[in-house]
Amino acid sequence: MTQTLLKISNLEGGYGDIKILNGVNIEVPEKSIVTIVGPNGAGKSTIMKAIFGIARVTSGTATILRDGKEVNVFATKPYNLSKIGIGYVPQIENIFVGMTIDENLDVGYIPESGKSLEELKESMYVRYPDLVSRKKDKAGQLSGGQRQMLALARALMSAPNVLLLDEPSAGLAPALVDQLFDELVRINQSGVTILMVEQNARRALEISTYGYVLDMGRNRHEGPGAALAVDPEIVGIYFGKRAQG
Amino acid sequence: MAEFVQLLFNGLVAGSIFGIAALGISLVYSVLRLVNFAAGDFLTLGAFTTFFLATSIHLPFIVAVLLSMLLGVVISLILEFLLWRKLRRTGAGLLALFLVATGVAFVLRQTISLIFGGNSQKFDIDQIKTFEFLGAQIAQAQLAVLCCASVAITFIALFIKKSTIGKNMRAYADNPSLASVSGINVDRVIIATWTISGAFGALAGVFQGTVQGQFTNGMGLDLFLSILAAVILGTIGDAYGALIGGFVLGVVMELSTWDALLGGIPSTYKPVVAFAVLVIVLLFKPEGIFGVKARKV
Repeated sequence: MTQTLLKISNLEGGYGDIKILNGVNIEVPEKSIVTIVGPNGAGKSTIMKAIFGIARVTSGTATILRDGKEVNVFATKPYNLSKIGIGYVPQIENIFVGMTIDENLDVGYIPESGKSLEELKESMYVRYPDLVSRKKDKAGQLSGGQRQMLALARALMSAPNVLLLDEPSAGLAPALVDQLFDELVRINQSGVTILMVEQNARRALEISTYGYVLDMGRNRHEGPGAALAVDPEIVGIYFGKRAQG
Repeated sequence: MAEFVQLLFNGLVAGSIFGIAALGISLVYSVLRLVNFAAGDFLTLGAFTTFFLATSIHLPFIVAVLLSMLLGVVISLILEFLLWRKLRRTGAGLLALFLVATGVAFVLRQTISLIFGGNSQKFDIDQIKTFEFLGAQIAQAQLAVLCCASVAITFIALFIKKSTIGKNMRAYADNPSLASVSGINVDRVIIATWTISGAFGALAGVFQGTVQGQFTNGMGLDLFLSILAAVILGTIGDAYGALIGGFVLGVVMELSTWDALLGGIPSTYKPVVAFAVLVIVLLFKPEGIFGVKARKV
């Protein structure tokens, strides 16, 4: 029985007075890939923004297991979340465009990762060889696919236990989408738990250990990723034609 | 030729001072989106406290300068905690921040007059001692200012480029929301920004006081608009741009008085040149020398 790494219970919240989440429950087992899917406006991204203090939390709890102890996520300042093992790649503006690739990695590093800066950077350059020759280039000059790799690398620089990904495939060309999901599997195999929110639902669920379908800010369905990906009812109602085609 | 060398030298001296002061304003803007209209008065503060500590209570000049820089930092941080932080939390807009900064400038200037009187002051430094270089008369005090300013500029530039806190400052300026979710302590970045701005603002004031010889409590204010021109010339929010903008402006302002250029302009009109540069930049390249055009979203 694997332990639950991240647990979100009865989460309610939104932006200002607008309530988006009406009691969401998510459990992310250690070393798993968990995907949250659902129609636009279901509140998928809001869950991540709530964790990082960008959206408002009105009630509910979130805990993460860190060194065998449960840590209250909402009581932790957003800039300290990386210290309790949570990495985050926002959907947009997820790199520092005016800084070099090397500096983007520097900024992602925290001493609490337990590894040296050089060691972690080296492992990122081994993992993403495309970035090596462009170390000194401004991140803003990278292509869409390279940007997404750098965004992942930046988040991995804190050696997170769990990586939160907000629509990682958004805006990528179809060929790159496959590469991205392959990469997510590799990251997961290296021991990093992943919680992602995806529009590209079927593709994401296929690689997921477990999936949640969210609607109107509430849990609607859940189940093993592979099963949800082919569930005719869910495919028809929530994924729309794009996912079937 | 001799006149050209003289003006170029004067321009570099003035430019190094503009550069340091402009850098503080640009950094504060990049991190806090605040145009610090009180920055000029921090120069005045630096010059007057150094004068007081060195001339009235006879501390060694270097110690007096370091203490003045410290005072610049302390006052900047007090203002941050009492004023700017609260204004940010209430979501104050550009206009509100502008008005408050202008108010801070007035209070600072009047406090300086109240404490030190309205008379002009002068450091106990030999302004007359000069030597000849390529036909130009180089004042030792000015040369010392240029050397010290160059060291200070190199130090800040390397600090921003290489240190962790410097990188974090640039990251926060680049993308505040990503910075705060990447483990960057925003409060620490803001404190570092005010520290640099306060310390080097005071230092620039000491340099300016040294170069001018005599200075009054209006010194910083007189200089402020030229400094702001340097900031905008070098693209507001770009620290290195501010340094270069400062040097360019300093040299242009001095060379504008050169006889060979249609007789040059009277030197009292030098600030007008700064304004002209500012207007030209705003008309033809409003994003500054190093700026990229703002993306339309």
